[in-house]
Amino acid sequence: MIIDSNKIQKVIDDSPQDKKQLIMILQNIQQEFHYLPKESIGLVSEYLGMPQSTVYSAATFYKSFSLVPRGENIIKVCKGTACHIKGADLIIDQLDAGIGIKPGQTTKDMKYTIEVVNCVGACAMAPVMIVNDKYFGEVKCNRATKLAKTG
Amino acid sequence: MVKLQINGKTVEAREGEMLLAVIQRMGIDVPTQCHHEAIEPTGNCRLCMVEITKKNWDGWKKSVTSCLYPVEEGLIVETHNDKLFEIRKTILDLQLARSPHSDYVTKMAAEYGLEKSSYPAEPQGDDCIMCYACTRICDVLGKSAIAPTMRGHEKIIAGPFGEAPPDCIGCLSCAHICPTDHIKWNDKGNTRKIWDKKFKLIKCKKCGKKTITREFADYLIEKRELPSEYFDTCDVCKRKETAEKMGELVIKAREATI
Repeated sequence: MIIDSNKIQKVIDDSPQDKKQLIMILQNIQQEFHYLPKESIGLVSEYLGMPQSTVYSAATFYKSFSLVPRGENIIKVCKGTACHIKGADLIIDQLDAGIGIKPGQTTKDMKYTIEVVNCVGACAMAPVMIVNDKYFGEVKCNRATKLAKTG
Repeated sequence: MVKLQINGKTVEAREGEMLLAVIQRMGIDVPTQCHHEAIEPTGNCRLCMVEITKKNWDGWKKSVTSCLYPVEEGLIVETHNDKLFEIRKTILDLQLARSPHSDYVTKMAAEYGLEKSSYPAEPQGDDCIMCYACTRICDVLGKSAIAPTMRGHEKIIAGPFGEAPPDCIGCLSCAHICPTDHIKWNDKGNTRKIWDKKFKLIKCKKCGKKTITREFADYLIEKRELPSEYFDTCDVCKRKETAEKMGELVIKAREATI
């Protein structure tokens, strides 16, 4: 996937030029492109007058940032203790069969990405699945694919 | 001045000074790994732990990293006891599991009676003990070319994207400060290689000795406002030059007085 660096620059230029805003700028870029393109690290460091290593360090420290391309829809399956016991693995298997990707992978048409998360703090609703910030509790594994696709 | 007690001896210290500095000045051997005078203390290795208490603390004691604890009036410090020995031993035990091939860690652990780690050792473990001395010295230099990347057990010290750091100037500060010699570099012919980045070395115009990298020289010239030809000759030749000039001046002065 090729991303125009002018487009990234535009997102950066719209943000305040303040070192404290590093995370916010990275979030804005991620919102636009669903991930942090490689060029963005250099552009952000230039814009904020920060070393590239510091920007990269922050981008790799937080799990919410991704440096590899991600799909438009991000499906998170909780695999915390409660969800694990309630059959999170079955949901993951169903999604693999329905969408054709495993956790950490993205479909070729860049539509879906599946991620496994450790706990979303909603154990009473286990097993939990999150599609684009929308939470689904007590997910039946046979409905997982439908939920993922319709959101 | 602040008065405090270390291992039963009363000592004076400057206000704002860290405990470790006072302890080291007294000649007490407290082990450290990440501490260096050139960089800000961060308390990463936690080997410099000491126990502190005060008269009005009712016998309550607290373990603190001495490199980060500023001196206080009436502080009673203990640098070596069974509890501190155990703390240091545990840290070295964990390090031994992480870096079983490091001579530095092995030697230090041996002082605490550790031959093998009691934790499952990482067979492919590298020698990096995450003391951050390298990244801190790079920050002091004003380059910050390397930084800790990733997090948790995946964390490594590297340049952006694990590639050659674009801001690196090949000054070798990180390699020299590294306590475990984990940062590898070499000078082959006219090139220096560190962090997978290649640099051209400057040759002294007079004696041909290789000095520092072009990038490092340019950086110093800019930062210290040195004349642009400052690094054309090596320090030995520069000294010789100054001596010759001084000699000439002395001769001239003598001739003038005669």
